[in-house]
Amino acid sequence: MDITHTATAGTLESSDIQVTLAPGGDGIDINLTSDVIKQFGDQIKASITQVLNNYGITSAKVKAVDKGALDIVIKARTVAAVQRALDIVDQPKWEVL
Amino acid sequence: MMTATMRDLYLSDRMTMHQWREFLESQGIQEFPANEVEPLEETIGLFDEDDQLVATGSLAGPILKYIAVRHDDAGHGALFNRIVGELVSRLAQRGITHYFVFTKPRYIDSFEHVGFTCLARVERGGLLEGGMPGIDTYLETVRALGSWPASAAIVMNANPFTLGHRRLVEIAAQENEHVYVFVVHEDRSLFTTDERLQLVRAGVADLKNVTVVDGSDYLIGFAAFPAYFLPSSKDVIDYQTKLDATLFRDWFVPALGITRRYVGQEPYSPTTEAYNQALKAVLEPPTQVTVVERKRAGQEPISASRVRKLIAQGDMEGLEGLVPSTTRFFIQDHLAQLQMRI
Repeated sequence: MDITHTATAGTLESSDIQVTLAPGGDGIDINLTSDVIKQFGDQIKASITQVLNNYGITSAKVKAVDKGALDIVIKARTVAAVQRALDIVDQPKWEVL
Repeated sequence: MMTATMRDLYLSDRMTMHQWREFLESQGIQEFPANEVEPLEETIGLFDEDDQLVATGSLAGPILKYIAVRHDDAGHGALFNRIVGELVSRLAQRGITHYFVFTKPRYIDSFEHVGFTCLARVERGGLLEGGMPGIDTYLETVRALGSWPASAAIVMNANPFTLGHRRLVEIAAQENEHVYVFVVHEDRSLFTTDERLQLVRAGVADLKNVTVVDGSDYLIGFAAFPAYFLPSSKDVIDYQTKLDATLFRDWFVPALGITRRYVGQEPYSPTTEAYNQALKAVLEPPTQVTVVERKRAGQEPISASRVRKLIAQGDMEGLEGLVPSTTRFFIQDHLAQLQMRI
């Protein structure tokens, strides 16, 4: 499935993450800003990638600004961004989490 | 930790305006010219328990403006993030996912910390962008048009494309293997962005080593430059031109291998003259700046403003010798429409 337009979810406040998705790229290209990038960067990217894969998205540009979000928050924000980017906010996919 | 409450500030209310200005002045922002304040579409504020304003920010189109956070607060980083986060999500609701901010040097780090990319930084301040698609994506699309070991570059508004522009491109095309012509994107001219692009493309179609590119938001894209932290208009021009030249040097030159930049000589416009000087100061070396003398028609140099005057007067014969036939045909076909816009 391909993303058709740019969409974003989340805030820049502590314990949150702001995820923006845009069409394009070969594969999933994640640009991550985080204070804990050294310790958790790979894990954050893996969580985002997993959600995208569950939606069948294989290529997208992702910008993520992490403010110390827990894994479940990262996944939830990514789900919200995907639902918006695919224009399927009225048909949530419960199974992707 | 202090809990601050977010509220909209309606600056049309005199008391609110007064409070807002007083707060910004206390944070070192002193300038409130009408051309900066009137375009503000939304302004938000954070208030502490005593109902004192502790942080604010505004939106004007895709540009974040008048951002300030009370500096003595221990939690000022959190306040800054809330203000920026709220402005960004309001933009997202309007469908705007790519936005900009001009800011003082001391805020550059704070913006980078919330995912903004610094496009250019000079002594007085910086220009940053946030969201997507960013400058990397733009430069990728330009690179996808072809690859050349070295290129020359010209930036033009071309409002509309004249024989003066044509000569500038011809000279660059003769002296270089490949030339990029970037057309300023900002849609504030008599001819629309699409029309200007179309006329440049048509006017250089026979030059095989020339690539015409939409300059997007990255080349002299901000005619409405914020004057609020600079005292005089001369300073504004100086700062703006340096910022623009720096952005070109830091992003376009390395990504596209630009070794020369061509500019038209500007005897009459002090702004353009200042711009050409700033380009030389910032780009040279390694990118050489070549100033080309203006082509003349009769006594006067050819300029797009001369062409626009003739359009206003409906003087089609006067266009002879000033514009290529592609531009002339377009003007003839759209004369009434163009005159309506003036």
